[in-house]
Amino acid sequence: MSSGPEATPIGGSPLARAARSTGIGVAVLALVLWTVFPFFWILLTSLKQPLDVIAAPPKLLFEPTTENYRAIFIGEQRGLYATARPDFPRFFLNSIVISCGAVALSFLAGIPASFALARYRFRFKEQLAFLFLSFRFAPFITFLIPLYILFQRLGLYNTYSGLILAYQLISLPFTIWMLRSFFMEIPLEVEEAAKIDGCSWWGVLTRVILPLSLPGMAVTLILGFMFCWNAFNYPLMLAGRQTFPVTVGAIQFISYEQVLWGQMAAASLVAVVPQLILSLFVQKYIVRGLTMGAVR
Amino acid sequence: MAPCPQGVMGPRCVVGTTGRMDTQRTPARRREAWLPYLLLTPGLLLLVGMLYPFFLGAYYSLTSYFLQYPHLFRFVWLGNYLKLLQDPLFGTSLRFTLGYAAVAVLVQVVLGLGVALLLNSRIPGRGVLRAMMLMPLMMPPVITALMWKVMMAATKSGILNYLLSFLGVGAINWLGSVDFAAVSILIIDTWGNLPFVSLILLGGLQSLPYEPYEAALVDGASGWGVFRYITLPLLKPFIILAATFRVMDALRIFDVIYATTVGGPADATMNLHMRAFWQAFQWYSMGMGMAYAMVLLVLVFLASLILMGTWRRAAEQTTL
Repeated sequence: MSSGPEATPIGGSPLARAARSTGIGVAVLALVLWTVFPFFWILLTSLKQPLDVIAAPPKLLFEPTTENYRAIFIGEQRGLYATARPDFPRFFLNSIVISCGAVALSFLAGIPASFALARYRFRFKEQLAFLFLSFRFAPFITFLIPLYILFQRLGLYNTYSGLILAYQLISLPFTIWMLRSFFMEIPLEVEEAAKIDGCSWWGVLTRVILPLSLPGMAVTLILGFMFCWNAFNYPLMLAGRQTFPVTVGAIQFISYEQVLWGQMAAASLVAVVPQLILSLFVQKYIVRGLTMGAVR
Repeated sequence: MAPCPQGVMGPRCVVGTTGRMDTQRTPARRREAWLPYLLLTPGLLLLVGMLYPFFLGAYYSLTSYFLQYPHLFRFVWLGNYLKLLQDPLFGTSLRFTLGYAAVAVLVQVVLGLGVALLLNSRIPGRGVLRAMMLMPLMMPPVITALMWKVMMAATKSGILNYLLSFLGVGAINWLGSVDFAAVSILIIDTWGNLPFVSLILLGGLQSLPYEPYEAALVDGASGWGVFRYITLPLLKPFIILAATFRVMDALRIFDVIYATTVGGPADATMNLHMRAFWQAFQWYSMGMGMAYAMVLLVLVFLASLILMGTWRRAAEQTTL
């Protein structure tokens, strides 16, 4: 890919150029502040005691405390162990279990499906692919209401297996479209060479397609996990206190009586640590993932 | 896709990425005719599992289904939809849904274009800026909303109000007032999704051809002229693509609203999605909830048809 034309100043007086670079400097500074400040502020909030959180004007200098983190991780609040509290370590574990389970199931069904959609011709192929794609755009509530009713009846409400199934609405269409786009990038010649050497479709899949698209599969795996981690709507109504993931867990710090700002801030930060770490590995593919492989 | 000579390869030939494998009708290929269906079986099973609740829900939208009163269950044909049309709150939430999507997309595309141009210019630390832009992108929207909720505290303890006080702006009741709730949602949504628009447009800028720019340089075009008459038309498909994704997500925005205003105050941020959720899970009127959901689904579907068509036309124009 070419690096493309850049918006370079064609010329102009030194004064105009100075004004231009000042303008760019201000814009960059504004962009950095806009992007980073919320993270900075939530970090400060998570280190504050309750009284410092609501202090007016807001305190930049205060005595930092790890109280909030101790509260969410070991349930210790001001020297006591709270009895009724959001069980945050459990929520974190739930997120890992459900997201891993959902991605694993999606991969099991998605690898052969994407292989078929990428390499074979059959009736209604494009319609089928489009049907999978349409889940990316459907309002979740159209599935949530009937799922809520079904899950209550089938005993899937508040269970890992139920949530893993519900998460397929997020991860399966994504997995199929991403894997398909990666499979289609492999030149047909490689595959034909393998066929001439006597490989069956199974050999083509396991010895050619899968090894050659290993990086793409890793990207799909990580991004799929991240999208499941972000899920909020489905677990909001389909999970209970034993199976809440971190996204639903984080709003449990808001109740009618009070908002535990400090603990909520700490929980929010801990909830996004996996996202911030994992996104480092898939930087170049995030836009591709968000558009289901449409934008490379 | 190039037209293929009928006589040479037969009518089944396909030129393009699907390639030669499809065209050979050797006995071996015919024996593998069942293979794609075998490969698709697990995926199709899950697909059925995903479509079944959808059709069940569509059926519920034609019934008077109250979760606590199963004995009231009746098939009411289009009764829910007629009731919904008479409900003034339906109009309010429909207007908010459409208005919010329009404004959000406009704001985010204009700002996103600015950011993309900035990231495309020769500035030090461009790579770092680009990586930094990815951080909000992969945040769970709920957590994004909670982060901003802390900053948008209505009293003077809110950092946003504190910073604005230096500009002489009085304390704003961000999420708690009818006037500012929608704006607050827009700010939060924009923080999370501006990078998406920016990165798509940045990718577009970096894929533009050199030639028109060289010609413009020779002709002595001004910076604005180059942007207006070369960059913008060439970028159009990318702008529409980014707008398409944003419209679809803005029509369905839920997480941010749920974590901040839950549709309030006084329905100021009540969109169709939120309304459907309230109907179903606050009043347990599953039938009405599904009716709202189906209206939203149709809306999203129509928007996707229009936008996809526009995008295809723009893409064809630029490649010709």
